[in-house]
Amino acid sequence: MSESRVAEFGFFTKDRTACFRLTAPHTAMGAYSWWKEPSWMVDSKRRRMTPNWPWLLSALTLLQVNAVQAHSLKRGSAQDLKCTTKNMQVWDCTWTAPVGVSPGTVKEVCIKDRLNSCHRLESTNIKIAALSPGDHEVAINYLNGFQSKFTLNENDVSLIPDTPESLDLSADFSTSTLHLRWNDRGSAFPYPCNATWEIKVLQNPSMELVKLVSFNTTLSGRDIVHHWNWTSDLPLQCATHSVGIRWYIDYNRFSGYKVWSDWSPLKNVSWTPNSETNVFPQDKVILAGSDITFCCVSQTKVLSGQIGKTFCPLIHLYGENVAIHIRNISVSENSGTNVVFTTEDNVYGTVVFAGYPPDIPQKLNCETHDFKEIICSWNPGRPTGLVGPRNTDYTLSESISGKSVPFKRFETLTNESYRLAFQMLPGQEIHNFTLTGRNPLGHAESAVFINITERVAPHVPVSLRVKDISSTVVTLSWHLPGNFAKINLLCQVEICKASSEREVRNATIKGAEESSYLVAVDKLNPYTLYTFRVRCSTETFWKWSKWSNEKRHLTTEAIPSRGPDTWREWSSDGKNLIIYWKPLPINEANGKILSYNVSCSSNEETQSLSEILDPQHRAEIQLEKSDYIISVVAKNSAGSSPPSKIASMEIPNDDIIVEQAVGMGKRIFLSWHPDPNMTCDYVIKWCNSSRSEPCLMDWIKVPSNSTKTVIESDQFQPGVRYNFYLYGCTNQGYQLLRSIIGYIEELAPIVAPNFTVEDTSADSILVKWEDIPVEELRGFLRGYLFYFQKGERDTPKTRTFETGHSDIKLKNITDISQKTLRIADLQGKTSYHLVLRAYTHGGLGPEKSMFVVTKENSVGLIIAILIPVAVAVIVGVVTSILCYRKREWIKETFYPDIPNPENCKALQFQKSICEGSSALKTLEMNPCTPNNVEVLESRSIVPKIEDTEIISPVAERPGESSEADPENHVVVSYCPPIIEEEIANPAADEVGGTSQVVYIDVQSMYQPQAKPEEEQGIDPGVVAAYKPQMRLPINSAVEDFAAAEDEADKTAGYRPQANVNTWNLVSPDSPRSTDSNSEIVSFGSPCSINSRQFLIPPKDEDSPKSNGGGWSFTNFFQNKPND
Amino acid sequence: MDPQADSPVSFLPHLEAKIRQTHNLARLLTKYAEQLLEEYVQQQGDPFGLPGFSPPRLSLAGLSGPSPSHMGLPLSERLRQDAAALDALPGLLDAVRRRQAELNPSSPRLLRNLEDAARQARALGVAVETVLAALGSAARGPGPEPAATTALSTANNAAGIFSAKVLGLHVCGLYGEWVNRTEGDLSQLVPGDVA
Repeated sequence: MSESRVAEFGFFTKDRTACFRLTAPHTAMGAYSWWKEPSWMVDSKRRRMTPNWPWLLSALTLLQVNAVQAHSLKRGSAQDLKCTTKNMQVWDCTWTAPVGVSPGTVKEVCIKDRLNSCHRLESTNIKIAALSPGDHEVAINYLNGFQSKFTLNENDVSLIPDTPESLDLSADFSTSTLHLRWNDRGSAFPYPCNATWEIKVLQNPSMELVKLVSFNTTLSGRDIVHHWNWTSDLPLQCATHSVGIRWYIDYNRFSGYKVWSDWSPLKNVSWTPNSETNVFPQDKVILAGSDITFCCVSQTKVLSGQIGKTFCPLIHLYGENVAIHIRNISVSENSGTNVVFTTEDNVYGTVVFAGYPPDIPQKLNCETHDFKEIICSWNPGRPTGLVGPRNTDYTLSESISGKSVPFKRFETLTNESYRLAFQMLPGQEIHNFTLTGRNPLGHAESAVFINITERVAPHVPVSLRVKDISSTVVTLSWHLPGNFAKINLLCQVEICKASSEREVRNATIKGAEESSYLVAVDKLNPYTLYTFRVRCSTETFWKWSKWSNEKRHLTTEAIPSRGPDTWREWSSDGKNLIIYWKPLPINEANGKILSYNVSCSSNEETQSLSEILDPQHRAEIQLEKSDYIISVVAKNSAGSSPPSKIASMEIPNDDIIVEQAVGMGKRIFLSWHPDPNMTCDYVIKWCNSSRSEPCLMDWIKVPSNSTKTVIESDQFQPGVRYNFYLYGCTNQGYQLLRSIIGYIEELAPIVAPNFTVEDTSADSILVKWEDIPVEELRGFLRGYLFYFQKGERDTPKTRTFETGHSDIKLKNITDISQKTLRIADLQGKTSYHLVLRAYTHGGLGPEKSMFVVTKENSVGLIIAILIPVAVAVIVGVVTSILCYRKREWIKETFYPDIPNPENCKALQFQKSICEGSSALKTLEMNPCTPNNVEVLESRSIVPKIEDTEIISPVAERPGESSEADPENHVVVSYCPPIIEEEIANPAADEVGGTSQVVYIDVQSMYQPQAKPEEEQGIDPGVVAAYKPQMRLPINSAVEDFAAAEDEADKTAGYRPQANVNTWNLVSPDSPRSTDSNSEIVSFGSPCSINSRQFLIPPKDEDSPKSNGGGWSFTNFFQNKPND
Repeated sequence: MDPQADSPVSFLPHLEAKIRQTHNLARLLTKYAEQLLEEYVQQQGDPFGLPGFSPPRLSLAGLSGPSPSHMGLPLSERLRQDAAALDALPGLLDAVRRRQAELNPSSPRLLRNLEDAARQARALGVAVETVLAALGSAARGPGPEPAATTALSTANNAAGIFSAKVLGLHVCGLYGEWVNRTEGDLSQLVPGDVA
């Protein structure tokens, strides 16, 4: 749009050559200068006008129009003159002839300020040599005399170089790279001169611009061939590419316009397909993460394209050729990433290797072990992902010597070791190494500058030997391969005692070539097994060598440094002195102890025992109990130790307090106050407290400056009480300072305290227990736990005490001297479950339990007795008084006059007998007139009265019963008083008949009997009166029993109502044992129902004397619930 | 024995033992060939081994797969073809191994299997030739390097890696097919082992 607007005013042509103008003001030209700038000012894209520029352009254009109008007025009709130059040496000017003048009528052109300035010609075009800067007046004369004048200035000349000609355009199809060559023809231009080139690449067949690039060169006054390479994203095989070039010259002394040349003719690059390869690029190595395009040249339709297992959208190029574009490709596996195109009848593919260029070698380290070769090692850094021929090749170069060493790779090694050996040159200490890694994607390098004498890491010393010099000095020798003649070695000797600390000693040794080295090691202990090993470095330390193999060595023996620790004990009878000593530790024995010499000396004599061979550490001497000095000497092959001495007698000490201590694990800690009187040492001996005196398990000696020690012994066992005795040593002998009883570990007691109930009342129980033996206590007794709760034996609630149960009451008795406990505030006549346990810090011991029933409240009992008795007495008295006062009425009412039996003829008593003894009267069945006769008739056999024990004594008389009608009639006649009672006979009811039985008042015959067992739960008041036994509930067992005894009952008259075996039924009134370990035993007194006598069973010693419920006289007289 | 007959007959004991031994070897190599093919496919990356990926069979001059008409040939001729194929296979397998040594240098198992396969194919071919000689049917003598090997070596060097992979796949497949076919042909000579 801007060009067309300018063309309207005739100032510019489309090719941007400058239009000639008549003395145009410079200001106006200057204002246009930006517009005339060539396109090289921008790169591949044209500069676009900003929104403000159209306004500015309009303003300037208006200004220019005014100027032209001014010239037209001055010079007459305007005629265009335009000049161009290709090399700034010759200007080529053309103009337009004036109106009415033929171009062939030109006569000459004259330049006013130049000699021979007129050029004859017959056309409107002239080539003139370049004019100097400034305005030049040009006059054009025509044959017809017409003349045109112009002002010509260099500023108005356009520099348009010739079209560049490319020499060669080639392609590397394997890399999809175009190579362009051309000549800049710089010899034709003044120099130095800047040239700007612009190259375009078009992709056929659409001629799409795929690349436009510009760059600058400098013309140097001679012809130079330039190169330009470009790699196409799309493989060149897949499309024809065309290349064109143009240029632009910027010479600062030329003030005219600079204009791009024309584009060179396009040159094409195309690929000739072959039958084998159809997919491109082939086997390319690219940077992981980059983008890549694969194309497939095919004559048939391509169905799919994929990379690995991933299918990609096809990009159609031309014909059947397609491409796929891969973005951010990931690192390939070893054999590469397969790219496959599938057609209808074939499969084509290629492999791409995506990886990384070599990383900078890291931790490059060069050192020597022997001054023969330098070993350089490094870490390759990030894996490249490329293997085989594409793997990184490393080369180690040394710049001073100029030598290089390639790195040989062993692909089959899984853990590749990046090491290179560089052979040292004699005399060269300074080395400048450069390690270069290179692969198809790039290269990287790392350098190190070293003085090899400061980078020595010797080989491991070998052939280590040890030689004795004395019992405390040895020499070590070893061999160190390498040439160390010019340096000093710094070696370390590690000395290690068996299972002890390690000591390292340094030694500086003059280096040598392939030599052995020797050092002396002193201050060793005699007869000690040492382990030696050596490592070396150099004085200018870099690295230690590896430690040599260890060498074990036993130093020779020396005499023991001191005598053994000694102790003595008198035998129990006081006649023998037993001497003990400890074997010397190895560091003091200085050899193998062979024997001991023991001697006793007093003021009068010295007694020596024969030599005692090791390992015996005990001797017994028969001595009188007096003061002796015992001396013990240890001997080894090197000699005898100084003697150890101990006095035979102790210094008495009456102020001994027994203390307690508890250990941990297998050790116990003892401490004491320092005693300045103890100048020698302390001895602690200990023994099992259960052993008889004197006992000695073991002993130790502690230095006199110690105030504590830890005693440890494998013999210690948890839960066992030990006695520890601390002795202090003075010049006069040993004195007992402290006596300690202790446990290594306290355990819980293994037995429960044995406890008994001493007393029981209605609201309290007194419990007493015994001590637990020490062996069973297994710790220091810390107290007792006493639980109690209501409960009876065998009830689930009382079988175990559950902690936290609200009914359980707990008493913690921490006063271990307390042996009794009274439990108060109990309920009367209640069973309690008592449990007692002892405890130590080791825990609670087992429990012992007992069930105790408290007594009933005696006051209530008395009240319960007295009130009924009083009531009965009062009732009796009142009744008696009333009966006495109403006796006549009673007599008449209840006891009217009885007819005289003598008046009865039927009942004629023999007078002699009746009169002789009133007590002896015989009822004779004589005819008489009875007062009252009842005749009972039964339609069946008279039922046996088996369920009753009450039988008329008259009817039971065997002799008389046989005389009477035994089957149907019973006629009873008796003397008054007669009480008749009619009861229902269950047996008779069953057969549908009734019988009338006449009972004799038997209350006078029988005392009230005890309740049968089955009714013991019934209120005693209910059964206070006599009840006929036939009305008692008869269970099946009784029935069976009654049936079995049927025959005997018929004839025996009196018989027990129950088998005595049934007496073991528990009676609630029966006292019973509450001992948890005893069986429940009933010793209730079942009374013979017939005899109404109590049958007291033998006394059960184990049975408790308390009962479980109700009260009885037996309970009343019982005062011990349990024993 | 009439080598033209396709039915087993009684051989001399040592010949019978040799046939049985060769047959056992062929049967064993059949399993090894399957393992080799599986290992080869696994090391080539996708889409090798994926279902549906079946590049067209490449023709190797001098060696092709057993033709469908193979079974129609006389037994001795079939064995001669077997021996010839087994004679050509070691060179092919060696060429594949060399290419795989560049592609998969850290897969020693594949390289070892390829090396073993070449050796075993050679051993089986010699054994088949021995049987043929014992049967009175002269096998084709050892000639110059088979054309297939030359072709493959050329293809390995000139063609792209993808083509080399496909060729290797083809060679491994051919190895399995010929070993399998040899096992089938030998089974007809083994008394009591007629399919």
